[in-house]
Amino acid sequence: MLVLARPPPSPPLNLSLRSPLAHGDLNPNRLLLLLPFHAPPNSMAAATGTRRRRRRSGGGRGGLEVTCMANQRRVRMVAKQIQRELSDMLLTDKVLQYAVLPEASLGADRYLSSLTTISDVEVSGDLQVVKVYVSVFGDERGREVAIAGLKAKAKYVRSELGRRMKLRLTPEIRFIEDDSLERGSRVLAILDRLKDEKKRIEEDDEQFEQSNISEEDEDDKDEPDERIIYVK
Amino acid sequence: MTKAIPRIGSHRNGRIGSRKNGRRIPKGVIHVQASFNNTIITVTDVRGRVVSWASAGTSGFKGTRRGTPYAAQAAAVNAIHTAVDQGMQRAEVMIKGPGLGRDAALRAIRRSGILLSFVRDITPMPHNGCRPPKKRRV
Repeated sequence: MLVLARPPPSPPLNLSLRSPLAHGDLNPNRLLLLLPFHAPPNSMAAATGTRRRRRRSGGGRGGLEVTCMANQRRVRMVAKQIQRELSDMLLTDKVLQYAVLPEASLGADRYLSSLTTISDVEVSGDLQVVKVYVSVFGDERGREVAIAGLKAKAKYVRSELGRRMKLRLTPEIRFIEDDSLERGSRVLAILDRLKDEKKRIEEDDEQFEQSNISEEDEDDKDEPDERIIYVK
Repeated sequence: MTKAIPRIGSHRNGRIGSRKNGRRIPKGVIHVQASFNNTIITVTDVRGRVVSWASAGTSGFKGTRRGTPYAAQAAAVNAIHTAVDQGMQRAEVMIKGPGLGRDAALRAIRRSGILLSFVRDITPMPHNGCRPPKKRRV
C-alpha cells in the first residue's frame, strides 16, 4: 500500500504506482485494497480471470486502477476545512438557502422556521467520499424539507466545493440526517426532570419533618420509602 | 459604549447605579454568537441592555472543547439561569455565525422552559465590502 503525505504534483500516471495488471501476479491481498466503488462489479470474480475486462473499464490509461490513502492528519484537516466551507455556504449561498428553507425565496429569511447546522463531516481515507451529518432544528415538516432540499442539491454543492477548495479530486458528497443532538437533548431533559423531582421530594421531606415534630414514629416509617427513587 | 437611554429620575438619584436587582423583564432577547471555536450567549432586554452573559469558556471548558455542542448548551444553561431568576418568560433568539453552538444552544433554551417567540439569523453579511482573509490551504 502506498501512503502519501501530500498528493504528488504530477498526475499519477507517471509515478511508479503498482497496478495489479502490470506485475502479473494477481495477488488477492493487493486486489482487496481497491475500494468497491472504484473497481468494476466483477473485480473479485476476475481476480484470477481475464484481464480484458479491467482494461476496458480503465479507459485510455491502460487499465490502471489508482487508490491512494492520504495521511491521517491530512484527512482530518480536509474534513475540518470542508465543514467550514459548507457552513459558510449554508450561510451565504442563496441557492442552498432556498433549498433548505423554501420560504426564504419569498423574502421571509429573517424569521426562521428551521435552522440547519452541519454537525459533523467524515471523509474517507482516500478523500473521495464525504459524509456530511446535518442537524435540523425545527418541526418534523421543516426537517424533511431541509434534508430533501440538501439531498437534491448534492451535485451543486459538490461543484461549489470544487470551486472553493483546491483538491485534486472533489469528493462525492452525501448528506445524512443527524439526530444525535436531538437525542442528547432528550437525555438531558430527562436528567433535569429527575433532578427536579429529587429536589422536590427532599424539600417535602424537610417540610414534613419541621411541621410534625411530635409524630416521630410515622416519620421513621415514611422517610426511607420517600427517599428511594426508582429510576426506570 | 453603553446605550444612552435617558432616565427621568437620574438627577434626583444623583448616582446611576446598577439597578440589576430591581428589574423584572418578562420579555428579552438572547443573542447567540456561535463561532467554530467558542459560543457566547448574551441575554439582553428588548432594547439591547445586557442582563447577563455566559460563554463556553466561562462555563469551565478550555481549548478545543469550547467549540463542542455540549459546551454550548452548558453556556446556555448558565446564561439563562440569571434571566429566569429575573422573571423572563418569553425570548427572541438572534443567532450569529456558523458553528455547532447554534443548534445546541437553541435546544438548551427550549428545554429550559423559556418560550421561544422568534428565531432570527443575524450573521453579518457584507454587500461586498472588506476583503476577507486569504483562503486556507489544505
